[in-house]
Amino acid sequence: MNAVELSGRTVIVTGGAAGVGRGIALACGDAGAHVVVASRRENGVEVVDEITARGGAASWSQCDVADGDSVAATVAHAVERTSGLHAVVHNATSNRSSEPHRLEDVSIDVFDEHAAVSLRGAYHCACAARDALEASHGTLLVMTSPAGIEGSATLPMYATMKGALRGFAKSLAREWAPFGITVNVVSPLAFSPAMANAIVEDPALEGRLNQRVPLGRVGDPETDVGRGVAFLVSADARYITGQTLAVDGGHFMSI
Amino acid sequence: MTAQQVRVVAPGASSFAAELTAALEGAPTGDCVVYVCGDVGAAVAGALDALDTDEWDRRAEQVLRDALTALQDAHRVLSAQGGRVVVVAPTVGIPGAPGLVPFVTAVEGVRAMVKSAARQWGAADIAVNAVLVPIELLVPATAGTTAYLPPPALGRPPTVVDVAAAVAAFADPARDGVTGATVVVDGGSVMAP
Repeated sequence: MNAVELSGRTVIVTGGAAGVGRGIALACGDAGAHVVVASRRENGVEVVDEITARGGAASWSQCDVADGDSVAATVAHAVERTSGLHAVVHNATSNRSSEPHRLEDVSIDVFDEHAAVSLRGAYHCACAARDALEASHGTLLVMTSPAGIEGSATLPMYATMKGALRGFAKSLAREWAPFGITVNVVSPLAFSPAMANAIVEDPALEGRLNQRVPLGRVGDPETDVGRGVAFLVSADARYITGQTLAVDGGHFMSI
Repeated sequence: MTAQQVRVVAPGASSFAAELTAALEGAPTGDCVVYVCGDVGAAVAGALDALDTDEWDRRAEQVLRDALTALQDAHRVLSAQGGRVVVVAPTVGIPGAPGLVPFVTAVEGVRAMVKSAARQWGAADIAVNAVLVPIELLVPATAGTTAYLPPPALGRPPTVVDVAAAVAAFADPARDGVTGATVVVDGGSVMAP
Protein backbone atom coordinates (compact mmCIF):
# COMPACT_ATOMS: atom_id res chain seq x y z
CA MET A 1 0.00 0.00 0.00
CA ASN A 2 1.23 3.49 -0.80
CA ALA A 3 0.40 6.33 1.57
CA VAL A 4 1.27 8.82 -1.18
CA GLU A 5 -1.34 9.17 -3.90
CA LEU A 6 -0.23 10.25 -7.37
CA SER A 7 -3.11 8.93 -9.45
CA GLY A 8 -3.94 11.27 -12.31
CA ARG A 9 -0.58 13.04 -12.03
CA THR A 10 2.22 13.00 -14.58
CA VAL A 11 5.84 13.14 -13.45
CA ILE A 12 8.93 13.56 -15.63
CA VAL A 13 12.15 12.13 -14.15
CA THR A 14 15.35 13.19 -15.92
CA GLY A 15 18.18 10.70 -15.62
CA GLY A 16 15.41 8.23 -14.83
CA ALA A 17 17.00 5.17 -16.38
CA ALA A 18 19.34 4.19 -13.57
CA GLY A 19 20.35 4.68 -9.97
CA VAL A 20 18.42 7.18 -7.87
CA GLY A 21 16.47 8.37 -10.92
CA ARG A 22 15.24 4.83 -11.56
CA GLY A 23 14.23 4.53 -7.92
CA ILE A 24 12.27 7.78 -8.10
CA ALA A 25 10.54 6.65 -11.29
CA LEU A 26 9.56 3.30 -9.76
CA ALA A 27 8.25 4.88 -6.56
CA CYS A 28 6.18 7.45 -8.45
CA GLY A 29 4.83 4.70 -10.68
CA ASP A 30 3.84 2.62 -7.67
CA ALA A 31 2.05 5.66 -6.23
CA GLY A 32 -0.11 5.90 -9.34
CA ALA A 33 1.60 8.54 -11.47
CA HIS A 34 2.17 8.31 -15.18
CA VAL A 35 5.96 8.46 -15.19
CA VAL A 36 7.85 9.85 -18.14
CA VAL A 37 11.29 8.29 -17.90
CA ALA A 38 13.58 10.81 -19.57
CA SER A 39 17.01 9.54 -20.53
CA ARG A 40 19.55 10.00 -23.26
CA ARG A 41 19.94 6.28 -23.83
CA GLU A 42 17.24 3.77 -24.59
CA ASN A 43 17.78 1.98 -21.28
CA GLY A 44 14.96 4.16 -19.98
CA VAL A 45 12.64 1.69 -21.72
CA GLU A 46 13.66 -0.98 -19.20
CA VAL A 47 12.39 1.20 -16.34
CA VAL A 48 9.15 1.80 -18.23
CA ASP A 49 8.78 -1.98 -18.57
CA GLU A 50 9.36 -2.41 -14.82
CA ILE A 51 6.68 0.13 -13.99
CA THR A 52 4.12 -1.29 -16.38
CA ALA A 53 4.87 -4.85 -15.20
CA ARG A 54 3.81 -3.71 -11.73
CA GLY A 55 0.56 -2.37 -13.15
CA GLY A 56 1.68 1.26 -13.39
CA ALA A 57 1.75 3.68 -16.30
CA ALA A 58 4.91 5.02 -17.88
CA SER A 59 6.50 6.05 -21.14
CA TRP A 60 10.02 6.75 -22.29
CA SER A 61 11.16 9.98 -23.84
CA GLN A 62 14.65 10.33 -25.21
CA CYS A 63 15.98 13.47 -23.58
CA ASP A 64 19.28 15.28 -23.44
CA VAL A 65 18.75 17.92 -20.75
CA ALA A 66 21.64 19.96 -22.14
CA ASP A 67 19.53 20.54 -25.26
CA GLY A 68 16.55 22.86 -24.79
CA ASP A 69 14.67 21.48 -27.80
CA SER A 70 15.07 17.95 -26.47
CA VAL A 71 13.64 18.93 -23.07
CA ALA A 72 10.77 20.79 -24.73
CA ALA A 73 9.97 17.66 -26.73
CA THR A 74 9.87 15.59 -23.54
CA VAL A 75 7.50 18.07 -21.91
CA ALA A 76 5.30 17.99 -25.03
CA HIS A 77 5.36 14.19 -24.92
CA ALA A 78 4.14 14.27 -21.31
CA VAL A 79 1.38 16.77 -21.92
CA GLU A 80 0.11 15.11 -25.09
CA ARG A 81 0.04 11.59 -23.68
CA THR A 82 -1.58 12.40 -20.35
CA SER A 83 -3.87 14.89 -18.67
CA GLY A 84 -1.07 17.43 -18.20
CA LEU A 85 2.22 17.76 -16.39
CA HIS A 86 2.33 17.94 -12.60
CA ALA A 87 5.98 17.50 -11.71
CA VAL A 88 9.47 17.54 -13.14
CA VAL A 89 12.25 15.89 -11.17
CA HIS A 90 15.61 17.05 -12.50
CA ASN A 91 17.91 14.26 -11.40
CA ALA A 92 20.36 13.99 -14.30
CA THR A 93 24.02 14.78 -13.70
CA SER A 94 27.13 14.72 -15.84
CA ASN A 95 28.77 11.34 -16.42
CA ARG A 96 31.87 12.94 -14.91
CA SER A 97 30.15 13.70 -11.61
CA SER A 98 31.86 10.96 -9.63
CA GLU A 99 35.38 11.40 -11.07
CA PRO A 100 37.66 12.74 -8.30
CA HIS A 101 39.63 15.87 -9.22
CA ARG A 102 41.46 18.90 -7.85
CA LEU A 103 39.81 22.29 -8.15
CA GLU A 104 43.01 23.92 -9.38
CA ASP A 105 43.19 21.44 -12.27
CA VAL A 106 39.63 21.78 -13.59
CA SER A 107 39.51 23.01 -17.18
CA ILE A 108 36.74 25.19 -18.52
CA ASP A 109 35.74 22.31 -20.78
CA VAL A 110 35.23 20.05 -17.78
CA PHE A 111 33.32 22.78 -15.98
CA ASP A 112 31.08 23.14 -19.02
CA GLU A 113 30.40 19.41 -19.12
CA HIS A 114 29.17 19.50 -15.52
CA ALA A 115 27.20 22.72 -15.98
CA ALA A 116 25.53 21.63 -19.22
CA VAL A 117 23.70 18.79 -17.49
CA SER A 118 23.18 20.07 -13.94
CA LEU A 119 22.62 23.80 -14.41
CA ARG A 120 21.64 24.35 -18.01
CA GLY A 121 19.54 21.21 -17.68
CA ALA A 122 17.68 22.76 -14.75
CA TYR A 123 17.18 25.97 -16.74
CA HIS A 124 15.85 24.00 -19.72
CA CYS A 125 13.52 21.93 -17.54
CA ALA A 126 12.14 25.05 -15.87
CA CYS A 127 11.59 26.99 -19.08
CA ALA A 128 10.05 24.07 -20.96
CA ALA A 129 7.72 23.02 -18.14
CA ARG A 130 6.69 26.39 -16.75
CA ASP A 131 3.34 26.81 -18.55
CA ALA A 132 2.29 23.21 -17.95
CA LEU A 133 3.23 23.42 -14.28
CA GLU A 134 1.32 26.66 -13.86
CA ALA A 135 -1.74 25.03 -15.38
CA SER A 136 -1.55 22.13 -12.93
CA HIS A 137 -0.19 24.10 -9.92
CA GLY A 138 2.61 21.62 -10.13
CA THR A 139 6.13 21.35 -8.84
CA LEU A 140 9.75 21.32 -9.93
CA LEU A 141 12.23 19.29 -7.93
CA VAL A 142 16.02 19.32 -8.22
CA MET A 143 18.48 16.97 -6.58
CA THR A 144 21.35 18.18 -4.44
CA SER A 145 23.88 16.55 -2.11
CA PRO A 146 25.63 17.28 1.19
CA ALA A 147 28.59 18.21 -1.06
CA GLY A 148 26.54 21.15 -2.29
CA ILE A 149 26.03 22.37 1.25
CA GLU A 150 29.37 21.68 2.92
CA GLY A 151 31.73 21.35 -0.07
CA SER A 152 33.70 18.29 -1.10
CA ALA A 153 37.37 17.37 -0.71
CA THR A 154 37.22 15.05 -3.71
CA LEU A 155 34.48 16.33 -6.05
CA PRO A 156 34.59 20.14 -6.07
CA MET A 157 32.81 20.52 -9.42
CA TYR A 158 30.03 18.19 -8.36
CA ALA A 159 29.73 20.19 -5.13
CA THR A 160 29.63 23.45 -7.07
CA MET A 161 26.78 22.19 -9.24
CA LYS A 162 24.81 20.84 -6.30
CA GLY A 163 25.25 24.06 -4.33
CA ALA A 164 24.23 26.10 -7.34
CA LEU A 165 21.05 24.07 -7.73
CA ARG A 166 19.98 25.07 -4.22
CA GLY A 167 20.34 28.74 -5.16
CA PHE A 168 18.38 28.03 -8.33
CA ALA A 169 15.56 26.30 -6.46
CA LYS A 170 15.24 28.82 -3.63
CA SER A 171 15.12 31.74 -6.04
CA LEU A 172 12.74 30.05 -8.45
CA ALA A 173 10.49 29.04 -5.54
CA ARG A 174 10.06 32.74 -4.77
CA GLU A 175 9.70 33.69 -8.42
CA TRP A 176 7.07 31.05 -9.21
CA ALA A 177 5.11 31.12 -5.96
CA PRO A 178 2.65 33.71 -7.33
CA PHE A 179 1.83 31.27 -10.12
CA GLY A 180 1.11 28.39 -7.74
CA ILE A 181 4.20 26.42 -8.72
CA THR A 182 6.39 25.00 -5.95
CA VAL A 183 10.12 24.33 -6.24
CA ASN A 184 12.04 22.13 -3.83
CA VAL A 185 15.30 20.25 -3.40
CA VAL A 186 16.08 16.71 -2.25
CA SER A 187 19.43 15.63 -0.87
CA PRO A 188 19.59 11.82 -1.05
CA LEU A 189 21.92 9.18 0.30
CA ALA A 190 21.27 5.94 -1.57
CA PHE A 191 22.95 3.16 -3.44
CA SER A 192 23.81 4.17 -6.98
CA PRO A 193 25.74 2.35 -9.71
CA ALA A 194 28.78 4.50 -8.85
CA MET A 195 28.52 3.59 -5.17
CA ALA A 196 28.03 -0.09 -5.99
CA ASN A 197 31.19 -0.04 -8.09
CA ALA A 198 33.09 1.65 -5.27
CA ILE A 199 31.93 -1.05 -2.85
CA VAL A 200 33.10 -3.77 -5.24
CA GLU A 201 36.52 -2.11 -5.24
CA ASP A 202 36.48 -1.59 -1.45
CA PRO A 203 34.11 -4.06 0.26
CA ALA A 204 34.65 -2.41 3.66
CA LEU A 205 33.22 0.84 2.32
CA GLU A 206 29.62 -0.21 2.91
CA GLY A 207 30.30 -0.90 6.58
CA ARG A 208 32.01 2.47 7.03
CA LEU A 209 29.13 4.25 5.35
CA ASN A 210 26.58 2.45 7.50
CA GLN A 211 28.45 3.52 10.64
CA ARG A 212 28.25 7.18 9.59
CA VAL A 213 24.51 7.13 8.99
CA PRO A 214 22.45 7.51 12.19
CA LEU A 215 19.80 5.12 10.89
CA GLY A 216 22.60 2.61 10.28
CA ARG A 217 22.32 1.97 6.55
CA VAL A 218 22.65 3.56 3.14
CA GLY A 219 19.25 4.30 1.64
CA ASP A 220 17.44 2.45 -1.08
CA PRO A 221 16.86 4.53 -4.25
CA GLU A 222 13.25 3.40 -4.54
CA THR A 223 11.84 2.64 -1.11
CA ASP A 224 13.68 5.42 0.73
CA VAL A 225 14.54 8.25 -1.68
CA GLY A 226 11.85 7.53 -4.25
CA ARG A 227 9.06 7.58 -1.70
CA GLY A 228 10.35 10.84 -0.25
CA VAL A 229 10.28 12.37 -3.70
CA ALA A 230 6.82 10.91 -4.35
CA PHE A 231 5.54 12.82 -1.33
CA LEU A 232 7.08 16.09 -2.52
CA VAL A 233 5.49 15.77 -5.96
CA SER A 234 2.09 14.89 -4.48
CA ALA A 235 -0.75 17.31 -3.81
CA ASP A 236 -0.18 16.81 -0.08
CA ALA A 237 3.07 18.82 -0.36
CA ARG A 238 1.38 21.87 -1.89
CA TYR A 239 2.42 24.22 0.96
CA ILE A 240 6.10 23.28 0.84
CA THR A 241 8.36 25.38 -1.37
CA GLY A 242 11.97 26.53 -1.40
CA GLN A 243 12.98 23.73 0.96
CA THR A 244 15.75 21.15 0.97
CA LEU A 245 14.65 17.72 2.22
CA ALA A 246 17.51 15.43 3.21
CA VAL A 247 16.50 11.80 2.61
CA ASP A 248 19.66 10.30 3.98
CA GLY A 249 19.04 8.45 7.22
CA GLY A 250 20.14 11.47 9.25
CA HIS A 251 23.57 11.57 7.60
CA PHE A 252 23.42 15.33 7.16
CA MET A 253 21.71 17.42 9.83
CA SER A 254 23.27 20.83 9.26
CA ILE A 255 20.85 22.42 6.81
CA MET B 1 52.78 37.57 -5.15
CA THR B 2 55.17 39.19 -2.73
CA ALA B 3 54.69 38.94 1.01
CA GLN B 4 52.12 41.04 2.85
CA GLN B 5 50.05 41.82 -0.21
CA VAL B 6 46.32 41.95 -0.82
CA ARG B 7 44.92 41.63 -4.31
CA VAL B 8 41.27 42.39 -5.00
CA VAL B 9 39.87 40.66 -8.08
CA ALA B 10 36.42 41.69 -9.24
CA PRO B 11 35.27 40.88 -12.78
CA GLY B 12 32.39 43.10 -13.77
CA ALA B 13 32.08 44.66 -10.32
CA SER B 14 30.83 48.14 -9.55
CA SER B 15 32.80 50.76 -7.64
CA PHE B 16 32.56 48.48 -4.59
CA ALA B 17 35.83 46.72 -5.43
CA ALA B 18 37.79 49.96 -5.56
CA GLU B 19 36.19 51.16 -2.34
CA LEU B 20 37.01 47.85 -0.65
CA THR B 21 40.61 48.05 -1.82
CA ALA B 22 40.89 51.52 -0.31
CA ALA B 23 39.25 50.44 2.94
CA LEU B 24 41.71 47.57 3.30
CA GLU B 25 44.77 49.82 3.10
CA GLY B 26 46.84 49.52 6.24
CA ALA B 27 45.09 46.39 7.49
CA PRO B 28 47.49 43.80 8.93
CA THR B 29 47.25 41.10 6.28
CA GLY B 30 49.46 38.40 4.88
CA ASP B 31 49.25 37.27 1.28
CA CYS B 32 45.60 37.39 0.43
CA VAL B 33 43.41 37.31 -2.66
CA VAL B 34 39.97 38.87 -2.32
CA TYR B 35 37.46 37.83 -4.96
CA VAL B 36 34.31 39.92 -5.35
CA CYS B 37 31.37 38.02 -6.84
CA GLY B 38 29.28 40.98 -7.90
CA ASP B 39 29.19 41.14 -11.66
CA VAL B 40 26.84 44.01 -12.55
CA GLY B 41 26.29 42.50 -15.98
CA ALA B 42 25.03 39.26 -14.43
CA ALA B 43 22.97 40.51 -11.50
CA VAL B 44 20.23 41.76 -13.77
CA ALA B 45 16.58 41.29 -12.83
CA GLY B 46 14.32 39.32 -15.16
CA ALA B 47 12.04 36.30 -15.23
CA LEU B 48 13.90 33.03 -15.77
CA ASP B 49 11.65 31.81 -18.56
CA ALA B 50 12.13 35.08 -20.46
CA LEU B 51 15.88 34.50 -20.80
CA ASP B 52 17.48 32.95 -23.84
CA THR B 53 20.34 30.51 -23.51
CA ASP B 54 23.01 33.17 -24.05
CA GLU B 55 21.57 35.30 -21.26
CA TRP B 56 21.41 32.28 -18.96
CA ASP B 57 25.06 31.59 -19.68
CA ARG B 58 26.07 35.22 -19.11
CA ARG B 59 24.21 35.52 -15.79
CA ALA B 60 24.90 32.06 -14.34
CA GLU B 61 27.57 29.90 -15.89
CA GLN B 62 29.96 32.72 -16.83
CA VAL B 63 29.89 33.96 -13.23
CA LEU B 64 30.95 30.49 -12.12
CA ARG B 65 33.67 30.27 -14.76
CA ASP B 66 35.04 33.63 -13.61
CA ALA B 67 35.06 32.46 -10.00
CA LEU B 68 36.73 29.17 -10.91
CA THR B 69 39.44 30.96 -12.87
CA ALA B 70 39.99 33.48 -10.07
CA LEU B 71 40.29 30.79 -7.40
CA GLN B 72 42.69 28.82 -9.59
CA ASP B 73 44.80 31.96 -10.08
CA ALA B 74 44.76 32.52 -6.33
CA HIS B 75 45.94 28.96 -5.74
CA ARG B 76 48.72 29.47 -8.24
CA VAL B 77 50.12 32.54 -6.48
CA LEU B 78 49.57 31.27 -2.93
CA SER B 79 50.49 27.59 -3.17
CA ALA B 80 54.21 28.05 -2.54
CA GLN B 81 53.92 29.81 0.82
CA GLY B 82 50.25 29.59 1.73
CA GLY B 83 47.89 32.49 2.23
CA ARG B 84 44.28 33.48 2.37
CA VAL B 85 41.44 33.71 -0.09
CA VAL B 86 38.34 35.70 0.82
CA VAL B 87 35.30 35.65 -1.45
CA VAL B 88 32.82 38.51 -1.09
CA ALA B 89 29.39 37.58 -2.41
CA PRO B 90 25.77 38.65 -1.91
CA THR B 91 23.60 37.22 0.87
CA VAL B 92 20.78 36.42 -1.55
CA GLY B 93 22.14 32.93 -2.09
CA ILE B 94 20.82 31.95 1.34
CA PRO B 95 17.18 33.06 1.07
CA GLY B 96 16.99 33.07 -2.75
CA ALA B 97 15.91 36.01 -4.88
CA PRO B 98 13.03 36.18 -7.35
CA GLY B 99 14.02 37.75 -10.65
CA LEU B 100 17.67 36.87 -10.10
CA VAL B 101 17.54 33.10 -10.51
CA PRO B 102 20.61 32.69 -12.77
CA PHE B 103 22.85 34.98 -10.73
CA VAL B 104 21.80 33.44 -7.40
CA THR B 105 22.38 30.00 -8.90
CA ALA B 106 25.95 31.09 -9.53
CA VAL B 107 26.34 32.66 -6.09
CA GLU B 108 25.41 29.46 -4.28
CA GLY B 109 27.68 27.52 -6.62
CA VAL B 110 30.53 29.86 -5.72
CA ARG B 111 29.87 29.28 -2.01
CA ALA B 112 30.08 25.51 -2.50
CA MET B 113 33.25 26.06 -4.54
CA VAL B 114 34.73 28.08 -1.67
CA LYS B 115 34.05 25.27 0.80
CA SER B 116 35.53 22.66 -1.53
CA ALA B 117 38.63 24.80 -2.08
CA ALA B 118 38.95 25.14 1.69
CA ARG B 119 38.85 21.36 2.06
CA GLN B 120 41.39 20.72 -0.71
CA TRP B 121 43.83 23.56 -0.06
CA GLY B 122 44.05 23.47 3.72
CA ALA B 123 47.05 21.15 3.53
CA ALA B 124 48.86 23.85 1.51
CA ASP B 125 48.11 26.38 4.27
CA ILE B 126 45.61 28.22 2.11
CA ALA B 127 42.47 29.23 3.98
CA VAL B 128 39.37 30.06 1.94
CA ASN B 129 36.41 31.88 3.45
CA ALA B 130 33.38 33.89 2.38
CA VAL B 131 31.92 37.22 3.43
CA LEU B 132 28.31 37.81 2.40
CA VAL B 133 26.89 41.30 2.03
CA PRO B 134 23.61 42.80 0.79
CA ILE B 135 23.43 42.53 -2.97
CA GLU B 136 22.75 46.25 -3.42
CA LEU B 137 26.14 47.02 -1.90
CA LEU B 138 27.78 45.08 -4.73
CA VAL B 139 25.30 45.92 -7.48
CA PRO B 140 23.45 49.17 -6.69
CA ALA B 141 21.01 48.60 -9.57
CA THR B 142 19.47 45.70 -7.63
CA ALA B 143 18.20 48.00 -4.87
CA GLY B 144 14.67 47.01 -3.94
CA THR B 145 14.89 43.44 -5.25
CA THR B 146 15.24 42.02 -1.73
CA ALA B 147 12.47 43.96 -0.01
CA TYR B 148 11.10 40.65 1.32
CA LEU B 149 14.09 40.30 3.66
CA PRO B 150 13.83 41.48 7.29
CA PRO B 151 15.36 44.90 7.99
CA PRO B 152 18.84 44.88 9.55
CA ALA B 153 18.62 44.33 13.29
CA LEU B 154 21.33 46.93 13.87
CA GLY B 155 19.15 49.53 12.22
CA ARG B 156 21.38 50.32 9.24
CA PRO B 157 22.84 48.49 6.28
CA PRO B 158 26.57 47.78 6.29
CA THR B 159 29.16 50.08 4.77
CA VAL B 160 32.23 49.11 2.79
CA VAL B 161 34.24 49.77 5.96
CA ASP B 162 32.17 47.13 7.80
CA VAL B 163 32.85 44.65 5.01
CA ALA B 164 36.56 45.48 4.95
CA ALA B 165 36.79 44.73 8.68
CA ALA B 166 35.46 41.20 8.11
CA VAL B 167 37.71 40.66 5.09
CA ALA B 168 40.71 41.90 7.07
CA ALA B 169 39.87 39.52 9.92
CA PHE B 170 40.02 36.57 7.53
CA ALA B 171 43.21 37.98 5.95
CA ASP B 172 44.98 38.64 9.25
CA PRO B 173 47.83 36.12 9.59
CA ALA B 174 47.57 36.38 13.37
CA ARG B 175 44.11 34.81 13.23
CA ASP B 176 44.50 31.21 12.21
CA GLY B 177 42.37 28.12 12.13
CA VAL B 178 39.33 29.33 10.21
CA THR B 179 38.58 28.00 6.74
CA GLY B 180 35.46 27.14 4.78
CA ALA B 181 33.49 29.63 6.87
CA THR B 182 30.82 32.10 5.84
CA VAL B 183 30.31 35.37 7.71
CA VAL B 184 27.26 37.48 6.94
CA VAL B 185 27.90 41.24 7.17
CA ASP B 186 24.47 42.74 6.65
CA GLY B 187 23.58 44.32 9.98
CA GLY B 188 21.51 41.33 11.00
CA SER B 189 19.02 40.74 8.22
CA VAL B 190 19.78 37.23 6.93
CA MET B 191 20.50 35.10 10.00
CA ALA B 192 20.24 31.58 8.56
CA PRO B 193 23.49 29.59 8.23
